[in-house]
Amino acid sequence: MNKYILKFPSDVVSSPVLAETILETGTVLNILRAKVDYNEGTIVISVLGDEEKQKKVVEILTRKGVEVSKLRKGIINEEERCVNCGACISVCPAGAISFDKEGSIKIEKEKCHRCGICLEVCPRRSLSIQEY
Amino acid sequence: MKTIEDINKKIRNGDAVVVRADEMPDIFEENPKKAAEEVDIVTTGTFGMMCSSGAFINFGHSDPPIKMTKVWLNDVEAYTGIAAVDTYIGAAQISDEKGFEYGGGHVIEDLVAGREINLRAEAYGTDCYPRKKAATSVTLNDVNQAMLFNPRNAYQRYNAATNSSDTVLYTYMGTLLSNKKNVNFAGCGEINPLMNDPEYRTIGFGTRIFLGGAKGYVTGEGTQHNPKVGFGTISVKGNLKEMSDEYLKGATVQGYGTSLFVGIGIPIPILDEDMARRTAIRNKDISVKILDYGVQRRDRPVVREVSYEELFSGKVAIDGKQVRSSPLSSMKVSIKIMEQLKQWIEAKEFYLTKPVETLPKDTVLKPMKPKSETPFVNDVMTKKVIYASPTDSIGRVSVLIVDNNIDQVPIIDEEGKLAGIVTAWDLTKAIATKKTRLEDIMTTKVITSRKGEYVDVVARRLGKHQVNSTPVVDDDRKVIGIVTSSDINKVLNRR
Repeated sequence: MNKYILKFPSDVVSSPVLAETILETGTVLNILRAKVDYNEGTIVISVLGDEEKQKKVVEILTRKGVEVSKLRKGIINEEERCVNCGACISVCPAGAISFDKEGSIKIEKEKCHRCGICLEVCPRRSLSIQEY
Repeated sequence: MKTIEDINKKIRNGDAVVVRADEMPDIFEENPKKAAEEVDIVTTGTFGMMCSSGAFINFGHSDPPIKMTKVWLNDVEAYTGIAAVDTYIGAAQISDEKGFEYGGGHVIEDLVAGREINLRAEAYGTDCYPRKKAATSVTLNDVNQAMLFNPRNAYQRYNAATNSSDTVLYTYMGTLLSNKKNVNFAGCGEINPLMNDPEYRTIGFGTRIFLGGAKGYVTGEGTQHNPKVGFGTISVKGNLKEMSDEYLKGATVQGYGTSLFVGIGIPIPILDEDMARRTAIRNKDISVKILDYGVQRRDRPVVREVSYEELFSGKVAIDGKQVRSSPLSSMKVSIKIMEQLKQWIEAKEFYLTKPVETLPKDTVLKPMKPKSETPFVNDVMTKKVIYASPTDSIGRVSVLIVDNNIDQVPIIDEEGKLAGIVTAWDLTKAIATKKTRLEDIMTTKVITSRKGEYVDVVARRLGKHQVNSTPVVDDDRKVIGIVTSSDINKVLNRR
């Protein structure tokens, strides 16, 4: 499974690009986050399936005018600011945050949906989303 | 039997035995007698958001002098209803400019970190204090006294929180997801200072403690000290100039406000076997109630009782489901505090004190005295409800709205249950989009209220969801009344 961030330019925003891609490739994909405004849309998806399928999805989306980039990083925790209180743990819908053995916050990027709920909850404002 | 003097002598000789509160249970279990004889001090610690914190600061006199009547530090208002240039900056006061993102707690952190802060003051001017305005920037070095003075810190333990309502709540217990999907809890359990001396034999006015990275003192019981149910608190004081920003950190609580993480550590002298046993307490032995914050009353219903052990496990069973739990205090920093305090004692830099007065054990927590009866929804709602059914035409609903001079009509199904609501605006939209069926235009996620709720609570709900009225439903979701914001305003304005 890989996660991708898709940028839809304004002329593509209104066409059902994702649905078409699913139909054409027969790939199961999951929308993790979506934001659409007047100029462009940003959607984060996770794509199941092998390398071949992943490649095909990226290829088709790119052909349809969507800017596709693979997500490598998840939520970043600025450890200098964080006090390791754990307020972010229980609100995470993906269950991606926990304490490690030393009592420090640990974020599993494979599980993370990048929804950003933890950013708002953090009392220290130490969390951020990296869009790449 | 040991006395504080005996223990201090051992510290001086460099042979006092100091252990951390999390290490004591195993030591005690192995041999209680030996533990009481050999261990001299157990260090405790806590690091959590404590809103009832703040600092008295004296800025020195300006020339010409000013008697400040209003003062802002980095745009956060501080209290100055005391002498001319004395102020109190409270942790929970929010910035005029930045709101919840910056508050008194952050001002204190910035000061302790050595950062410069802006001071802006206003005054009415007197013969002795002619100046009416002052503006400058200062660091902690520039001011005279800066005393951290916290009226209520280090709760012995605290109730945990969940939320049964169908909307997310933003509370001082953090963000509570709807339908009991998470549990948040505060406190450090077995390493909490008062939890290790629950009879307050050694803690009281004058007890020397670790406070914000420096030596500080307990100044007596804290506000809302409630010893009979094991909810003791302390008030504390210390010199801000000696403290460290590692142990005082500003906090933002989503949708609630600002606060200050405060680091406190208290050394517990092991005078006898009783004290050894007290300090051997484990998380599994401390029970905490999980309260339902979905009910916005002073006395919230108890969902269940849990131990700190279960809370710290990360998962708590609620209604047969495992939900995630979050601590709001930092165990990592708390352990560091216990360790630091232990090192100070071992390095002969910190001696124990016998309190001048121990904390009271008979204080009773009183509620706010009400001036008049607070009205319930039942007292103000309209019981004769104008309603429509899902199969009614849009035309009929329009007539109902016009004839009765109302803004919205609840839609009730054949069983008498609330199915939705239609507003005058929904009807306008229906005409614009050429929709004709009521079912297509009604809102099905209706903001409702209950007859036993206080009107203040419903007023807040109406404001939060920006609606003018709410149907009142019973347990079966049958509509028994309707309450509007003008019904509520009438009684609230009378108070």
